[in-house]
Amino acid sequence: MNARVMNVKVAGTAGSDSRPAAPVDPAPPHIAARGVAVDFRIEERRQRVLNDINLIVPKGSFVSLIGPSGCGKSTLLKVMAGLIAPSEGDMRVAGLSPQEAVKARLIGLVFQEATLLPWKNALENAAFLLMTADETIKRREAFERAAAMLRLVGLDDADKKMPSQLSGGMRQRVAIARALALNPEVLLMDEPFGALDAITREEMSECLLDIWERTGKTVVLVTHSIDEAVFLSREVHVMGTGPARIIETLPISLPHPRTEDSYADPAFAAAENRLRGLLIESHRRRRP
Amino acid sequence: MTDAPMSWAEQPSTARFRKGVSDAAPALGLSAAVIVFWELVIRLFGVPSFVLPAPTAVVASLAANWRALAVAAEATAIEVLFGFVLSGIVGIAVAIVIVRFERFGRAVYPLIVLFQNVPKVALAPIFILWFGYDLAPKILLIVVIAFFPVAIDMLAGLQSVDPSFVSLMRSVGASRGKIMLRVRIPHSLPHLMAGLKVAITFSVIGAIVGEFAGANQGLGYVIQFASTQLDTPLIFAALIVVSVLGLAFYYVVEFAERWLVPWAPKFDPVQAAG
Repeated sequence: MNARVMNVKVAGTAGSDSRPAAPVDPAPPHIAARGVAVDFRIEERRQRVLNDINLIVPKGSFVSLIGPSGCGKSTLLKVMAGLIAPSEGDMRVAGLSPQEAVKARLIGLVFQEATLLPWKNALENAAFLLMTADETIKRREAFERAAAMLRLVGLDDADKKMPSQLSGGMRQRVAIARALALNPEVLLMDEPFGALDAITREEMSECLLDIWERTGKTVVLVTHSIDEAVFLSREVHVMGTGPARIIETLPISLPHPRTEDSYADPAFAAAENRLRGLLIESHRRRRP
Repeated sequence: MTDAPMSWAEQPSTARFRKGVSDAAPALGLSAAVIVFWELVIRLFGVPSFVLPAPTAVVASLAANWRALAVAAEATAIEVLFGFVLSGIVGIAVAIVIVRFERFGRAVYPLIVLFQNVPKVALAPIFILWFGYDLAPKILLIVVIAFFPVAIDMLAGLQSVDPSFVSLMRSVGASRGKIMLRVRIPHSLPHLMAGLKVAITFSVIGAIVGEFAGANQGLGYVIQFASTQLDTPLIFAALIVVSVLGLAFYYVVEFAERWLVPWAPKFDPVQAAG
């Protein structure tokens, strides 16, 4: 793993042009939605919460879904995770249906709340889903992998700590380590930093970017934060309401590797302004 | 109150003891005052012992009848123990079945609530009629009284699991049974312990009521026997033994709670305001 980490680092620093910025992405589609729609039955009435979603996430890419509350971005993420079946259309994850992808353990999930088990320490929590997914894995092996993931997310001496002894940011790191311990191909995150303070958010963003660069996972992030979307993503899908759909896909041409300095890059401000404009537009078009 | 977020078990034992004494001091002081006042009133106004015995008379009766009271306490304790354990098992099972089999739960839950509104004390004679004067009717009576708080609290615990957690489990292909076993049941333990604490006090009540209805041993029997003899000091002596027994059972459950669910929030019945 060290060698791999170093490789990525060297490639990243030696020439940032070796990793071209979006939109030119030669990687094959990893997640593909074709005409996905979702209806919820609310008190015997069918309500369309997601309409005609067409979306391609290339393998190894980092993509954000952004939009006003109630635009169905979390629902779309749940369709990708196989938690909600689409009413119409087709969702593919690595060429499989989401249910098959779940069985093949391709999907790692992170929510806004860390949802750690209060009776287990950080290490046991990080190993918990892996041990649930794979009954045959040896306890020691699961713990070793969980410990490695805790190091990866920057938790060095918290293994024995209980969730109540961890800060919000640290708990969320454990939740990310728990997802990574599954060694999924796709990481689906639903506002993972939404409950954290501004500085911790930025810290976690950098941590997440670092993990993405090291592991090469495909990441789909649902977020409210324009900053977060621009800083992290290669592509941002802006969603609108009434009915919920994708109104625009914006490639982010901010060069990699991205660091604290990226916030000062003119490309950052340009993308931020463009996104803000799109969001305001979608907000105005929202039906009362 | 200590400021450090130390758990109960982490505090050094001397500090724990000192805190225990200072916590108990107000209650002990008040009790002593009441007992002294009681004794004075009886002596001053010459209240006859069969109406209200003085504390000293109760203690005298306790000393004179301690062997009979101990035998009776043992019989009652056995009823409470069996009844309580069975209540716990029935309550837990009912809650799990209701959550696990939704359709069945919808059918059963209203019936359980309905049954809860039947005055259980009134069932005691029927149970005696059906099962005689032995252990069985008492245990049955305890179960019908005490399973309800266990079932309701366990149900609340099973259903209060964060939906995100269920999603997480489903995202790795976990079955409903596995989610129940690994997440819902452990998550509901603090709720369950709260239900068991109510159930243990109900169990003591159930045992005494069962003995009132028909028994030839136990503290309830002693109380009833003493009342026919107008031996009020013995009634009070038996009441003291019942209370001590109930308290002992309660603290066993509370100790088990601290042991089993150290992550549960501490319950402080009298919280200082502000």
